[in-house]
Amino acid sequence: MSDYKAVVIGGSAGSFAVVLKMLSNLKVTFDLPIIICMHRLKHIRSGLVESLNVKSCKEVIEPFDKQKIERGQIYLAPSNYHMFIEFDGSISLSTEDMNHQSRPSIDYTLSSAASTYRDKCLGIILTGANKDGAKGLKDIADKGGFTIVQDPKTADVPTMPKAALEIMKPNLILSPDQITDFLNKL
Amino acid sequence: MDAKEFLVQLKARTGYDFCDYSSLSITRRLEKICEENKLTFESLLSKLVTDKAFLSKIVEDITVNTTELFRDPEVWISLYKTMYQKLPSTGTITFWHIGCSVGLETYSSLILLKEIGVLDRIRVFGTDLNPRVLNVAKKGSYAHKFNEHFKTNFEEVMRNIGSKSKFEDYFDIDEKNDTMTVKPFLSAIPKFMQQNLVQDKAPFPYKVDIVFVRNVLIYFNDALQAKVMQMINAKMYDEGMLILGKQELIPNRYSGQYKQLGYVHKRM
Repeated sequence: MSDYKAVVIGGSAGSFAVVLKMLSNLKVTFDLPIIICMHRLKHIRSGLVESLNVKSCKEVIEPFDKQKIERGQIYLAPSNYHMFIEFDGSISLSTEDMNHQSRPSIDYTLSSAASTYRDKCLGIILTGANKDGAKGLKDIADKGGFTIVQDPKTADVPTMPKAALEIMKPNLILSPDQITDFLNKL
Repeated sequence: MDAKEFLVQLKARTGYDFCDYSSLSITRRLEKICEENKLTFESLLSKLVTDKAFLSKIVEDITVNTTELFRDPEVWISLYKTMYQKLPSTGTITFWHIGCSVGLETYSSLILLKEIGVLDRIRVFGTDLNPRVLNVAKKGSYAHKFNEHFKTNFEEVMRNIGSKSKFEDYFDIDEKNDTMTVKPFLSAIPKFMQQNLVQDKAPFPYKVDIVFVRNVLIYFNDALQAKVMQMINAKMYDEGMLILGKQELIPNRYSGQYKQLGYVHKRM
Protein backbone atom coordinates (compact mmCIF):
# COMPACT_ATOMS: atom_id res chain seq x y z
CA MET A 1 0.00 0.00 0.00
CA SER A 2 1.05 3.59 -0.66
CA ASP A 3 2.62 5.87 1.86
CA TYR A 4 -0.61 7.77 2.52
CA LYS A 5 -1.77 7.79 6.12
CA ALA A 6 -5.50 8.26 5.55
CA VAL A 7 -8.25 8.80 3.01
CA VAL A 8 -10.63 11.61 3.92
CA ILE A 9 -13.93 11.89 2.08
CA GLY A 10 -16.55 14.66 2.14
CA GLY A 11 -19.96 14.63 0.54
CA SER A 12 -23.46 15.99 0.84
CA ALA A 13 -26.61 15.66 -1.26
CA GLY A 14 -26.40 12.50 -3.37
CA SER A 15 -23.23 11.26 -1.71
CA PHE A 16 -24.79 8.48 0.33
CA ALA A 17 -25.28 6.25 -2.73
CA VAL A 18 -21.79 7.09 -3.98
CA VAL A 19 -20.12 6.27 -0.66
CA LEU A 20 -22.20 3.11 -0.29
CA LYS A 21 -21.07 1.87 -3.71
CA MET A 22 -17.44 2.81 -3.04
CA LEU A 23 -17.36 1.00 0.29
CA SER A 24 -19.02 -2.10 -1.16
CA ASN A 25 -16.55 -2.26 -4.08
CA LEU A 26 -13.43 -1.54 -2.09
CA LYS A 27 -11.08 -4.47 -1.53
CA VAL A 28 -11.34 -5.99 1.94
CA THR A 29 -7.56 -5.72 2.11
CA PHE A 30 -7.70 -1.91 1.77
CA ASP A 31 -5.60 -0.93 4.71
CA LEU A 32 -5.72 2.86 5.09
CA PRO A 33 -8.11 4.43 7.55
CA ILE A 34 -11.05 6.00 5.71
CA ILE A 35 -12.53 9.04 7.38
CA ILE A 36 -15.91 10.13 6.03
CA CYS A 37 -17.79 13.33 6.73
CA MET A 38 -21.25 13.43 5.19
CA HIS A 39 -24.01 15.95 5.73
CA ARG A 40 -27.23 14.44 6.94
CA LEU A 41 -30.77 15.61 6.57
CA LYS A 42 -31.93 17.12 9.82
CA HIS A 43 -34.90 14.79 10.26
CA ILE A 44 -32.82 11.64 9.54
CA ARG A 45 -30.60 11.67 12.56
CA SER A 46 -29.76 8.04 12.90
CA GLY A 47 -29.55 5.00 10.66
CA LEU A 48 -26.84 6.28 8.31
CA VAL A 49 -24.07 4.14 9.77
CA GLU A 50 -26.38 1.11 9.88
CA SER A 51 -27.31 1.59 6.21
CA LEU A 52 -23.67 1.87 5.17
CA ASN A 53 -22.81 -1.25 7.14
CA VAL A 54 -25.27 -3.37 5.18
CA LYS A 55 -23.00 -3.26 2.12
CA SER A 56 -19.63 -1.94 3.23
CA CYS A 57 -16.55 -4.15 2.76
CA LYS A 58 -15.83 -3.66 6.43
CA GLU A 59 -17.46 -2.12 9.46
CA VAL A 60 -18.13 1.63 9.52
CA ILE A 61 -18.07 3.18 12.97
CA GLU A 62 -19.19 6.50 14.43
CA PRO A 63 -16.23 7.28 16.67
CA PHE A 64 -16.26 8.43 20.26
CA ASP A 65 -14.39 11.57 21.27
CA LYS A 66 -10.61 10.88 21.63
CA GLN A 67 -10.84 7.54 19.80
CA LYS A 68 -7.57 6.51 18.14
CA ILE A 69 -7.58 6.21 14.36
CA GLU A 70 -6.44 2.75 13.29
CA ARG A 71 -5.41 1.27 9.97
CA GLY A 72 -8.11 -0.57 8.09
CA GLN A 73 -10.94 1.16 9.94
CA ILE A 74 -13.71 3.28 8.46
CA TYR A 75 -14.97 6.26 10.46
CA LEU A 76 -18.12 8.28 9.86
CA ALA A 77 -18.67 11.69 11.47
CA PRO A 78 -21.53 11.24 14.00
CA SER A 79 -24.66 13.30 13.51
CA ASN A 80 -24.66 16.73 15.13
CA TYR A 81 -20.93 16.67 15.94
CA HIS A 82 -18.00 18.19 14.08
CA MET A 83 -15.18 15.67 13.68
CA PHE A 84 -11.50 16.64 13.77
CA ILE A 85 -8.26 14.71 13.32
CA GLU A 86 -5.86 15.62 16.12
CA PHE A 87 -2.06 15.70 15.81
CA ASP A 88 -1.74 12.55 17.95
CA GLY A 89 -3.82 10.60 15.41
CA SER A 90 -7.00 10.56 17.47
CA ILE A 91 -10.45 11.88 16.64
CA SER A 92 -11.95 14.76 18.55
CA LEU A 93 -15.57 15.83 18.41
CA SER A 94 -17.14 19.20 18.96
CA THR A 95 -20.63 20.66 19.08
CA GLU A 96 -19.64 24.21 18.22
CA ASP A 97 -21.57 26.37 15.74
CA MET A 98 -22.45 25.07 12.33
CA ASN A 99 -20.21 25.87 9.35
CA HIS A 100 -22.08 26.49 6.07
CA GLN A 101 -25.26 25.46 7.96
CA SER A 102 -23.66 22.08 8.61
CA ARG A 103 -22.64 20.05 11.62
CA PRO A 104 -20.63 17.96 10.88
CA SER A 105 -18.69 20.36 8.69
CA ILE A 106 -16.59 18.80 5.92
CA ASP A 107 -14.19 21.78 5.95
CA TYR A 108 -13.38 21.11 9.60
CA THR A 109 -12.65 17.42 9.09
CA LEU A 110 -10.60 17.96 5.93
CA SER A 111 -8.62 20.95 7.24
CA SER A 112 -7.68 19.14 10.45
CA ALA A 113 -6.66 16.07 8.40
CA ALA A 114 -4.54 18.36 6.20
CA SER A 115 -2.72 19.76 9.25
CA THR A 116 -2.14 16.34 10.77
CA TYR A 117 -1.30 14.19 7.74
CA ARG A 118 0.13 16.94 5.47
CA ASP A 119 1.51 15.33 2.25
CA LYS A 120 0.35 11.89 3.46
CA CYS A 121 -3.31 12.87 3.17
CA LEU A 122 -5.63 11.79 0.37
CA GLY A 123 -8.73 14.00 0.17
CA ILE A 124 -11.86 13.41 -1.89
CA ILE A 125 -14.87 15.68 -2.47
CA LEU A 126 -18.07 14.12 -3.79
CA THR A 127 -21.45 15.34 -4.95
CA GLY A 128 -23.23 17.90 -2.77
CA ALA A 129 -25.45 20.97 -2.67
CA ASN A 130 -23.23 23.08 -0.45
CA LYS A 131 -19.85 24.82 -0.52
CA ASP A 132 -18.70 23.16 2.70
CA GLY A 133 -15.63 21.03 1.95
CA ALA A 134 -14.10 23.15 -0.81
CA LYS A 135 -11.83 25.05 1.54
CA GLY A 136 -10.90 21.86 3.39
CA LEU A 137 -9.85 20.17 0.15
CA LYS A 138 -7.80 23.23 -0.78
CA ASP A 139 -6.07 22.99 2.62
CA ILE A 140 -5.13 19.37 1.83
CA ALA A 141 -3.70 20.44 -1.54
CA ASP A 142 -1.85 23.39 0.04
CA LYS A 143 -0.17 21.05 2.53
CA GLY A 144 1.02 18.80 -0.30
CA GLY A 145 -1.68 16.13 0.00
CA PHE A 146 -3.31 14.36 -2.94
CA THR A 147 -6.77 15.57 -3.96
CA ILE A 148 -9.61 14.13 -6.02
CA VAL A 149 -12.85 15.85 -6.97
CA GLN A 150 -15.83 13.90 -8.27
CA ASP A 151 -16.45 14.94 -11.88
CA PRO A 152 -19.36 17.42 -11.63
CA LYS A 153 -20.89 15.80 -14.74
CA THR A 154 -21.32 12.60 -12.72
CA ALA A 155 -22.63 14.32 -9.58
CA ASP A 156 -26.28 14.28 -8.50
CA VAL A 157 -25.76 17.83 -7.28
CA PRO A 158 -22.60 19.46 -8.67
CA THR A 159 -22.41 22.48 -6.31
CA MET A 160 -19.85 20.97 -3.96
CA PRO A 161 -17.37 19.62 -6.55
CA LYS A 162 -17.74 22.86 -8.54
CA ALA A 163 -17.07 24.97 -5.43
CA ALA A 164 -13.85 23.00 -4.91
CA LEU A 165 -12.80 23.38 -8.55
CA GLU A 166 -13.34 27.15 -8.33
CA ILE A 167 -10.73 27.61 -5.63
CA MET A 168 -8.21 24.83 -6.26
CA LYS A 169 -6.83 22.45 -8.86
CA PRO A 170 -7.14 18.83 -7.75
CA ASN A 171 -4.74 16.11 -8.86
CA LEU A 172 -7.62 14.19 -10.42
CA ILE A 173 -11.23 14.73 -11.49
CA LEU A 174 -12.90 11.30 -11.58
CA SER A 175 -16.24 9.51 -11.72
CA PRO A 176 -17.23 7.54 -8.59
CA ASP A 177 -16.22 4.21 -10.19
CA GLN A 178 -12.85 5.65 -11.19
CA ILE A 179 -12.31 6.86 -7.63
CA THR A 180 -12.95 3.34 -6.32
CA ASP A 181 -10.58 1.88 -8.92
CA PHE A 182 -7.96 4.42 -7.97
CA LEU A 183 -8.22 3.48 -4.28
CA ASN A 184 -8.10 -0.24 -5.05
CA LYS A 185 -4.85 0.25 -6.97
CA LEU A 186 -3.07 2.13 -4.18
CA MET B 1 2.39 35.38 19.93
CA ASP B 2 0.74 31.99 19.45
CA ALA B 3 -2.52 30.68 20.93
CA LYS B 4 -0.81 29.14 23.94
CA GLU B 5 0.97 32.38 24.91
CA PHE B 6 -2.26 34.26 24.29
CA LEU B 7 -4.12 32.02 26.76
CA VAL B 8 -1.43 32.44 29.42
CA GLN B 9 -1.61 36.23 29.02
CA LEU B 10 -5.42 36.19 28.99
CA LYS B 11 -5.43 34.30 32.28
CA ALA B 12 -2.89 36.65 33.87
CA ARG B 13 -4.69 39.81 32.79
CA THR B 14 -8.41 38.93 32.90
CA GLY B 15 -8.63 35.87 35.18
CA TYR B 16 -10.31 33.81 32.44
CA ASP B 17 -8.39 30.55 32.32
CA PHE B 18 -8.71 28.46 29.15
CA CYS B 19 -5.19 27.04 29.37
CA ASP B 20 -6.46 23.51 29.98
CA TYR B 21 -8.88 23.52 27.07
CA SER B 22 -8.05 20.97 24.39
CA SER B 23 -5.42 22.81 22.38
CA LEU B 24 -6.49 22.14 18.81
CA SER B 25 -10.09 23.16 19.38
CA ILE B 26 -9.33 26.32 21.36
CA THR B 27 -6.67 27.35 18.85
CA ARG B 28 -9.10 26.89 16.02
CA ARG B 29 -11.74 29.01 17.71
CA LEU B 30 -9.27 31.74 18.63
CA GLU B 31 -8.04 31.90 15.05
CA LYS B 32 -11.62 32.18 13.87
CA ILE B 33 -12.23 35.05 16.30
CA CYS B 34 -9.08 36.85 15.09
CA GLU B 35 -10.12 36.36 11.48
CA GLU B 36 -13.69 37.60 12.03
CA ASN B 37 -12.52 40.66 13.96
CA LYS B 38 -9.48 41.23 11.73
CA LEU B 39 -7.15 41.13 14.74
CA THR B 40 -3.84 39.49 15.58
CA PHE B 41 -3.42 37.63 18.90
CA GLU B 42 -1.56 40.72 20.23
CA SER B 43 -4.26 43.21 19.26
CA LEU B 44 -7.00 40.81 20.39
CA LEU B 45 -5.38 40.61 23.81
CA SER B 46 -5.05 44.37 24.27
CA LYS B 47 -8.66 44.89 23.21
CA LEU B 48 -9.81 42.23 25.68
CA VAL B 49 -7.92 43.83 28.54
CA THR B 50 -9.43 47.27 27.94
CA ASP B 51 -12.94 46.47 26.68
CA LYS B 52 -15.13 44.61 29.22
CA ALA B 53 -18.09 44.15 26.86
CA PHE B 54 -15.82 42.72 24.16
CA LEU B 55 -14.28 40.39 26.75
CA SER B 56 -17.62 38.87 27.70
CA LYS B 57 -18.55 38.51 24.03
CA ILE B 58 -15.30 36.67 23.30
CA VAL B 59 -15.65 34.43 26.37
CA GLU B 60 -19.03 33.52 24.93
CA ASP B 61 -17.49 32.80 21.53
CA ILE B 62 -14.84 30.56 23.08
CA THR B 63 -17.30 28.52 25.11
CA VAL B 64 -19.68 26.31 23.16
CA ASN B 65 -23.37 26.73 24.00
CA THR B 66 -25.03 24.41 21.50
CA THR B 67 -27.93 22.51 23.08
CA GLU B 68 -31.54 21.45 22.46
CA LEU B 69 -34.56 20.13 24.32
CA PHE B 70 -34.15 16.34 24.62
CA ARG B 71 -31.02 16.47 22.51
CA ASP B 72 -30.35 12.90 21.28
CA PRO B 73 -33.78 11.50 22.29
CA GLU B 74 -32.37 7.97 22.59
CA VAL B 75 -30.23 9.15 25.53
CA TRP B 76 -33.28 10.49 27.38
CA ILE B 77 -35.35 7.40 26.67
CA SER B 78 -32.53 5.27 28.11
CA LEU B 79 -32.25 7.61 31.11
CA TYR B 80 -35.99 7.43 31.80
CA LYS B 81 -35.93 3.66 31.86
CA THR B 82 -32.92 3.52 34.17
CA MET B 83 -34.23 6.26 36.46
CA TYR B 84 -37.60 4.58 36.68
CA GLN B 85 -35.95 1.51 38.18
CA LYS B 86 -33.01 2.98 40.05
CA LEU B 87 -34.06 6.32 41.56
CA PRO B 88 -34.21 6.28 45.37
CA SER B 89 -37.81 5.59 46.36
CA THR B 90 -37.80 8.05 49.26
CA GLY B 91 -36.03 11.28 50.15
CA THR B 92 -34.86 14.19 48.07
CA ILE B 93 -33.35 13.49 44.66
CA THR B 94 -30.66 15.90 43.48
CA PHE B 95 -29.71 16.56 39.84
CA TRP B 96 -26.76 18.61 38.64
CA HIS B 97 -26.37 19.82 35.05
CA ILE B 98 -22.76 20.91 34.49
CA GLY B 99 -22.35 23.27 31.54
CA CYS B 100 -26.13 23.69 31.39
CA SER B 101 -26.03 26.46 28.75
CA VAL B 102 -29.53 27.94 28.23
CA GLY B 103 -31.11 25.25 30.44
CA LEU B 104 -32.85 23.15 27.81
CA GLU B 105 -31.46 19.84 29.06
CA THR B 106 -32.17 20.86 32.65
CA TYR B 107 -35.81 21.32 31.65
CA SER B 108 -35.67 18.03 29.74
CA SER B 109 -34.77 16.18 32.93
CA LEU B 110 -37.44 18.09 34.89
CA ILE B 111 -40.01 16.91 32.35
CA LEU B 112 -38.87 13.30 32.84
CA LEU B 113 -39.05 13.72 36.62
CA LYS B 114 -42.60 15.02 36.28
CA GLU B 115 -43.44 12.04 34.07
CA ILE B 116 -42.05 9.66 36.71
CA GLY B 117 -44.06 11.53 39.34
CA VAL B 118 -41.33 12.68 41.70
CA LEU B 119 -41.39 16.43 41.06
CA ASP B 120 -42.30 17.08 44.73
CA ARG B 121 -39.02 15.69 46.07
CA ILE B 122 -36.31 16.95 43.76
CA ARG B 123 -33.57 19.56 43.76
CA VAL B 124 -32.09 20.58 40.41
CA PHE B 125 -28.99 22.68 39.77
CA GLY B 126 -27.66 24.00 36.48
CA THR B 127 -24.21 25.57 36.36
CA ASP B 128 -22.32 27.29 33.57
CA LEU B 129 -19.41 29.68 33.09
CA ASN B 130 -21.40 32.06 30.94
CA PRO B 131 -23.79 34.52 32.71
CA ARG B 132 -25.74 35.32 29.54
CA VAL B 133 -26.86 31.72 28.96
CA LEU B 134 -27.73 31.39 32.66
CA ASN B 135 -30.10 34.35 32.34
CA VAL B 136 -31.84 32.68 29.41
CA ALA B 137 -32.03 29.45 31.43
CA LYS B 138 -33.69 31.25 34.37
CA LYS B 139 -36.38 32.71 32.09
CA GLY B 140 -36.88 29.40 30.30
CA SER B 141 -37.97 31.25 27.17
CA TYR B 142 -36.80 30.31 23.67
CA ALA B 143 -37.44 31.18 20.04
CA HIS B 144 -40.31 29.08 18.72
CA LYS B 145 -40.19 28.67 14.94
CA PHE B 146 -36.42 28.30 14.79
CA ASN B 147 -36.61 25.46 17.32
CA GLU B 148 -39.39 23.29 16.02
CA HIS B 149 -37.17 20.24 16.41
CA PHE B 150 -37.59 20.60 20.20
CA LYS B 151 -41.16 19.46 19.76
CA THR B 152 -40.10 16.59 17.49
CA ASN B 153 -37.59 15.43 20.12
CA PHE B 154 -40.20 15.83 22.88
CA GLU B 155 -42.74 13.74 20.99
CA GLU B 156 -40.21 11.02 20.23
CA VAL B 157 -39.32 10.73 23.92
CA MET B 158 -42.96 10.75 25.09
CA ARG B 159 -43.91 8.10 22.52
CA ASN B 160 -41.09 5.84 23.68
CA ILE B 161 -41.79 6.14 27.39
CA GLY B 162 -45.50 5.49 26.86
CA SER B 163 -46.65 8.97 27.87
CA LYS B 164 -49.63 10.87 26.47
CA SER B 165 -48.29 14.26 27.61
CA LYS B 166 -48.35 17.09 25.09
CA PHE B 167 -45.76 19.75 24.42
CA GLU B 168 -48.29 22.36 25.57
CA ASP B 169 -48.45 20.68 29.00
CA TYR B 170 -44.94 21.97 29.61
CA PHE B 171 -44.57 25.01 27.37
CA ASP B 172 -46.60 28.18 26.79
CA ILE B 173 -46.44 29.02 23.11
CA ASP B 174 -46.76 32.64 22.03
CA GLU B 175 -47.16 32.71 18.26
CA LYS B 176 -47.21 36.50 18.11
CA ASN B 177 -43.85 36.96 19.80
CA ASP B 178 -42.53 33.66 18.43
CA THR B 179 -41.57 32.29 21.82
CA MET B 180 -42.03 29.08 23.77
CA THR B 181 -41.69 29.42 27.51
CA VAL B 182 -41.37 26.69 30.11
CA LYS B 183 -44.48 26.74 32.32
CA PRO B 184 -43.89 28.35 35.73
CA PHE B 185 -44.60 25.14 37.70
CA LEU B 186 -41.42 23.76 36.10
CA SER B 187 -39.24 26.84 35.66
CA ALA B 188 -39.62 27.72 39.36
CA ILE B 189 -37.74 24.57 40.39
CA PRO B 190 -34.14 24.68 39.08
CA LYS B 191 -31.40 26.91 40.48
CA PHE B 192 -29.06 28.23 37.81
CA MET B 193 -25.66 29.39 39.05
CA GLN B 194 -22.35 30.48 37.63
CA GLN B 195 -19.44 28.11 38.03
CA ASN B 196 -16.01 28.13 36.44
CA LEU B 197 -14.98 24.47 36.26
CA VAL B 198 -11.30 25.41 36.16
CA GLN B 199 -11.26 27.07 39.57
CA ASP B 200 -14.62 26.89 41.39
CA LYS B 201 -16.10 24.19 43.59
CA ALA B 202 -19.72 23.15 43.09
CA PRO B 203 -21.78 26.17 44.26
CA PHE B 204 -24.16 24.15 46.47
CA PRO B 205 -23.64 21.95 49.55
CA TYR B 206 -25.63 18.81 48.62
CA LYS B 207 -24.65 15.38 47.39
CA VAL B 208 -25.99 14.54 43.95
CA ASP B 209 -27.87 11.52 42.53
CA ILE B 210 -27.49 12.27 38.84
CA VAL B 211 -24.84 14.42 37.14
CA PHE B 212 -25.16 15.58 33.54
CA VAL B 213 -21.95 16.67 31.89
CA ARG B 214 -22.87 16.44 28.23
CA ASN B 215 -20.43 17.52 25.54
CA VAL B 216 -18.35 19.46 28.06
CA LEU B 217 -15.33 17.22 28.69
CA ILE B 218 -14.66 17.02 24.94
CA TYR B 219 -13.27 20.56 25.09
CA PHE B 220 -10.81 19.88 27.92
CA ASN B 221 -7.35 18.35 28.06
CA ASP B 222 -6.63 15.26 30.19
CA ALA B 223 -5.67 17.27 33.28
CA LEU B 224 -8.86 19.33 33.34
CA GLN B 225 -10.98 16.27 32.53
CA ALA B 226 -9.45 14.53 35.55
CA LYS B 227 -10.13 17.54 37.76
CA VAL B 228 -13.78 17.65 36.73
CA MET B 229 -14.18 13.89 37.20
CA GLN B 230 -12.73 14.19 40.72
CA MET B 231 -15.17 16.99 41.51
CA ILE B 232 -18.07 14.93 40.18
CA ASN B 233 -17.03 11.82 42.11
CA ALA B 234 -16.69 13.83 45.33
CA LYS B 235 -20.22 15.23 44.96
CA MET B 236 -21.94 12.07 43.79
CA TYR B 237 -23.64 9.45 45.96
CA ASP B 238 -22.11 5.98 45.72
CA GLU B 239 -25.20 4.87 43.84
CA GLY B 240 -25.14 7.91 41.56
CA MET B 241 -25.39 8.13 37.79
CA LEU B 242 -23.49 10.13 35.19
CA ILE B 243 -24.85 11.17 31.81
CA LEU B 244 -22.40 12.13 29.05
CA GLY B 245 -22.87 13.25 25.45
CA LYS B 246 -23.91 10.58 22.96
CA GLN B 247 -20.38 10.17 21.54
CA GLU B 248 -18.47 10.53 24.82
CA LEU B 249 -16.93 7.88 27.06
CA ILE B 250 -15.84 8.16 30.70
CA PRO B 251 -12.20 9.35 30.66
CA ASN B 252 -9.90 6.33 30.73
CA ARG B 253 -8.61 6.27 34.26
CA TYR B 254 -12.14 6.65 35.70
CA SER B 255 -13.86 4.14 33.45
CA GLY B 256 -13.40 1.29 35.95
CA GLN B 257 -15.52 3.17 38.47
CA TYR B 258 -18.64 3.20 36.34
CA LYS B 259 -20.83 0.60 34.72
CA GLN B 260 -22.66 1.48 31.53
CA LEU B 261 -26.41 0.84 31.36
CA GLY B 262 -27.56 2.08 27.95
CA TYR B 263 -26.51 5.72 27.87
CA VAL B 264 -26.34 5.93 31.67
CA HIS B 265 -23.06 5.45 33.53
CA LYS B 266 -23.80 4.05 36.96
CA ARG B 267 -21.25 4.41 39.69
CA MET B 268 -19.96 1.11 41.09
